[in-house]
Amino acid sequence: MAEKKTTGNLRSQDPNQRRVLDSMTRHRRLTRQLEALEKDNFQDDPHASLPQLVKRLPQFDESNESGNESSKRRKKTRGDHFKQRFRKNFQALLEEEDLSVSEGPNYLIACAEPSKFPQRHFCAVCGFPSNYTCVSCGARYCCVRCLGTHHETRCLKWTV
Amino acid sequence: MSTLVLDNGACFAKIGYSHEKVSVIPNCQFRSKTSRLKTFTANQLDEIKDPSGLFFILPFQKGYLVNWDVQRKVWDHLFGKDMFKVDFADTNIVITEPYFNFSSIQDTMNEILFEEYQFQSALRINAGSLSAHRYFHENNSELCCIVVDSGFSFTHIVPYCRGRKMKEGICRINVGGKLLSNHLKEIISYRQLHVMDETYVINQVKEDVCYVSQNFYKDMEIAQLKGEDNTVMRDYVLPDFSSIKKGFCKPREEMNFTGKYKTGEQILRLTNERFAVPEMLFHPSDIGIQEMGIPEALVNSINNMPEEMQPHFYKNIVLTGGNTLFPGFRDRVYKEVRALAPVEYQVSVVLPQNPICYPWEGGKLLAENPDFEEMVVTREDYEENGHYVCEEKFDI
Repeated sequence: MAEKKTTGNLRSQDPNQRRVLDSMTRHRRLTRQLEALEKDNFQDDPHASLPQLVKRLPQFDESNESGNESSKRRKKTRGDHFKQRFRKNFQALLEEEDLSVSEGPNYLIACAEPSKFPQRHFCAVCGFPSNYTCVSCGARYCCVRCLGTHHETRCLKWTV
Repeated sequence: MSTLVLDNGACFAKIGYSHEKVSVIPNCQFRSKTSRLKTFTANQLDEIKDPSGLFFILPFQKGYLVNWDVQRKVWDHLFGKDMFKVDFADTNIVITEPYFNFSSIQDTMNEILFEEYQFQSALRINAGSLSAHRYFHENNSELCCIVVDSGFSFTHIVPYCRGRKMKEGICRINVGGKLLSNHLKEIISYRQLHVMDETYVINQVKEDVCYVSQNFYKDMEIAQLKGEDNTVMRDYVLPDFSSIKKGFCKPREEMNFTGKYKTGEQILRLTNERFAVPEMLFHPSDIGIQEMGIPEALVNSINNMPEEMQPHFYKNIVLTGGNTLFPGFRDRVYKEVRALAPVEYQVSVVLPQNPICYPWEGGKLLAENPDFEEMVVTREDYEENGHYVCEEKFDI
């Protein structure tokens, strides 16, 4: 048992058997991380597993005083119409806009350009400025202790 | 004939009649693990006893209104009898939109305002335009200003000249409050305690404890010291919703620098996260987003403007939006812009008293403006001419 543990530890640092990710994979990993930062919630909807509730009865005390019958009916049909038409997500709406044909400033052109200043690097484990890079996956680290933590926890886990 | 001003933001909706005060209300729905049947809308958040693991349903995606179901539910609640009791036939509405809003979203907004809610008249405008209006109202002699709107989804830098926005100069940085909170969640979850589900709590941590450092590398060195010398380190007590309702930062006198705390509270020890997280607004490349930070984008945007106007823009930089509330934000922006701007120009950065409600106050002034009647589109106008009249009149 003890032998297995030590060989396991050594294997990750043995230059012949260490797996190295190429730049494409590293880039994909980075994109994945950035997309994860855009999420609203990391947990699932707590109501997702519940059975569908019975449709609520219309509330008669709603402020429909302005309503003549036609506007009330129009409201109801409009509601369903919206539900079907407007379930698009952001990406679909952006493609629909078809901005390549329009001229002048638009959503895509307004995006900021890459910075002229060089990128600063921080240790993936402790957050302080880093000087060194992990050979396998390209993550930054500042000291050998952080490298150890990195190898034990994150290195090459969840590779694309 | 009253006017309702609604600054429809991705995180908070700032809403109020133009003759009353503004209310800042979350613009989303919440679901909780504990109360299984109910979905809470907007300010019903106060009714939730246990905001741990709170699930957010936001109508906005990347800053644009995508989910109309949720938005309509929130608006129904706000316009209904519990909140503002809006009498639609007798009310004008001033509502804000993001820059370069998609035409399909604009059309849907027209339909909803005029056909579903049936407002008497409506004005759709960018939030920054309202801020610029407010700024020019106070500083009558200035011709140009540049508005930095750093909100939940992104940050926009928009130059205004004589009340009109200059589209060529608009710059968008895809870093906003949501990104900062999510990043903070990730690093805390990796280094200390798993908090990935606790958006609401960590948002509170970010607002209480984070600040913008004036000298980044020096603060980094101080944060690495041990014990009492580390003036950057703070301990944050997490809420457990039974005895501690709201998290708070422990004052320095009570902190225990060596060893553990005796009480049973959950503590987060924050050192470099305090200033490294807001640093992303100034250097998005720190986490790999290849975009300019706020000071660089400001200078870049001004450089795209005609030369005669540039000194006027440098003299009138206005900061709005929730992210500007970090302590030290204004001074840092001034320092960096001063370093990048040409020597002969005067640089002045203004942070209003209440940056979150600044556009709302601009909307209030606009509603009282004598020209207001010409700027809006009435319902009769819309029913005759359709979307075309809105496209013409509103400059989004």
